[in-house]
Amino acid sequence: MKRFFLLLANEFKFARTSIPVHIVAILQPTLMYLLMTVILVDPTFSMNVTQPDSKIEHDLALAMQQVGSSIGKPYIDVHFVAADEGQGEFRQLVVIEDRHDQATAVQHYGLIDSNIVKNYRNRLTAAALRLWDADLGDQAIQIEEYAWLPQDVSYKVYFGMALLPMAAAIAASIIGSLLTAQDFERGTILQYRLSPMHPALILGARLTRLIITGMLSAGVLLVAVGAITGFWPATPWKVILVLLPICLITGGLGIVAGLVIQKTIPSFMVALITSFISWIIGSAFGLAAGFGRGYAAASLFTPNTYTVELLFPLYFGAPVGNPLVSMLVLSLMSLLMLGICALVYQFRVISDD
Amino acid sequence: MKRFWILILTEFKAWRHDPISAAGGFIPTTFILLAFGLLFGGRLAFKLGVINHDQGPYGGVLRQTFDETLSPFGIPYYDVIDMSEDQTWETYQDFGLEGVWVIPADFSDSVEAGENPKVEMHFSNYNDDRAKNHRIYAAEIMWRFYEKIDYPAPPLELDETYPLSTMIEWFPVIAVGVILMAFMIGGMMNIFMLTYKEQIDHLTLEFGLAPRSLVWVLLPKTVLSLIMSIITGTALMGIVYLWIGDWPALHAAIFPGQALLGVWFLASLVVLFWVPITMAFGLRAQYFAGAIAVMLTAITTFFIGGGLSLVRVNLDRAVWFTWLIPNAYAVDPMRDLILFHEWPVDWDQTLLILGGFAVLGLAFGWGSTIRQLRRLG
Repeated sequence: MKRFFLLLANEFKFARTSIPVHIVAILQPTLMYLLMTVILVDPTFSMNVTQPDSKIEHDLALAMQQVGSSIGKPYIDVHFVAADEGQGEFRQLVVIEDRHDQATAVQHYGLIDSNIVKNYRNRLTAAALRLWDADLGDQAIQIEEYAWLPQDVSYKVYFGMALLPMAAAIAASIIGSLLTAQDFERGTILQYRLSPMHPALILGARLTRLIITGMLSAGVLLVAVGAITGFWPATPWKVILVLLPICLITGGLGIVAGLVIQKTIPSFMVALITSFISWIIGSAFGLAAGFGRGYAAASLFTPNTYTVELLFPLYFGAPVGNPLVSMLVLSLMSLLMLGICALVYQFRVISDD
Repeated sequence: MKRFWILILTEFKAWRHDPISAAGGFIPTTFILLAFGLLFGGRLAFKLGVINHDQGPYGGVLRQTFDETLSPFGIPYYDVIDMSEDQTWETYQDFGLEGVWVIPADFSDSVEAGENPKVEMHFSNYNDDRAKNHRIYAAEIMWRFYEKIDYPAPPLELDETYPLSTMIEWFPVIAVGVILMAFMIGGMMNIFMLTYKEQIDHLTLEFGLAPRSLVWVLLPKTVLSLIMSIITGTALMGIVYLWIGDWPALHAAIFPGQALLGVWFLASLVVLFWVPITMAFGLRAQYFAGAIAVMLTAITTFFIGGGLSLVRVNLDRAVWFTWLIPNAYAVDPMRDLILFHEWPVDWDQTLLILGGFAVLGLAFGWGSTIRQLRRLG
């Protein structure tokens, strides 16, 4: 055990050879989160409407202000503009016109992005429907909402939570690939070959160090998410437990990339791209089941999906999928990666002369 | 000029010995494109379960309304998945459905009697933006339903006008963002790796001792990076063309290839900002840390520089640091050429801004590199 701790201490000493890499790998996901929170989608949209004059215009403006969630945010931030201001100045402007003796709310768009158009159109329809419902009285159809959670939760919470496995993965895989490739470039691998220590001890020390580094990166992000959104996991120690497999899998991936490629930059590329793609297809922007069939199928092959499913109840207090299945898959992936690591180490270090 | 050609051939030979930098720009962006394609390239409709207990006709009409109410994507807002009631709830609980509507047994009776007809809408709200979609999509469904069952006309009709006749979807918008990132990484990885190679081969020492201006050394390096950048970006444009069928073209081109040249020109100006800075940075940074920084800078720039959405129409949402990078100014004119097949209306203004950025990048990057090389020499 003493030898293991000596090796572990030595692994951490390697950090001195690549301090900038460590800083970048550990802090970059948090930096990305901080930048993204500024531009992430928000349910409240600013909508330009001409200054109300008639009763119907006043009614519409009032209805627009009422469109929103009773357990969350309003959906329209009404901006009144003077009727003589040019339409070309706005990306969207609602003007009420009289067409064949019928008041018509005309939405003039300055854009053709279907996603944005959809958002504007739906909001105006929701406001106009309120007026129609008011006219219909008891005939109006009421939609009784049964939201899953008692409060709408900001997207920043989910986005940050889904970024936690990516933060851990980036740090573990990048640094794993760097350290291992450096062993070849600097000749340290010869010392490992000649060492009387069992290879499992050497690999174990490196993996432990990568797991700790991954946890550190995720920890920094977790604090940032909590500070920004006010959402903290119910039991932080469970977060550590949930992130453990992904740190191990991606740390192993980094080591394998370094062992196979033996050059820092290509190994780094493999580690970075794999971590990044795993994040995107691993429920990065929403639970995978809610997207297309192809996406949901691809997401089954990345550990991020299962990690997100296990993190979800810790943040939202409600289960997703089958936690047992997620744990089982992550355990199998971890074991598989350990096996691959040992096998490649055997071929590249021990048997290779 | 002869010296320039000798140096550019030298740079090219140096690249040929280690052509990994070409892959460095192409492979990550291809995978990123693939990932975004999987995420946003499919059918952007919410999967919904409808449980219709209604004894009369209106429940069926409402069910039909879901299929008929189209979003600006040209598809229904909801993909209604027909399943048994138990299966529907089970799938909803597994997040296989975004929501479930329950139409009660007395729905038609209530509609006919005008006695507060009700429907239940069950939906997930772990993401407030998607919860918002449920609420506002429901309004579209109800609006269409009222029209179908001949309710009295609304007090306010709705209409829309657009600046162009076609809509653009989200994935193509993102794809152009990824193309610009490919141009950027292609150039940056090339200059970074070549500079590193020249450092370990002590070529930089020779450069530093050169009796002539070092601009003659930096110019071919920059030109080669620019060529690599254009090759990388164009290759990715080829993939985008094969995938979604969009390629730079103009409705009213003055000469063949005008749009492609326009894209290259815009991208080159962006690259001329990033490449010299990367070169200066490459002389100081550790090899590995530098490569990480290059990749992560490109990815971060993609996110904050309009990679995910049109910049011009989101001016009110853009943050101050977006305007500190040239990508934010170039990406929409590139979209004009690739997606809308229109020459950018703000072409002159864009060139002026991007030119300013390029001059700034070159002045800072080259100046810093020359100082560094001379110090080493």
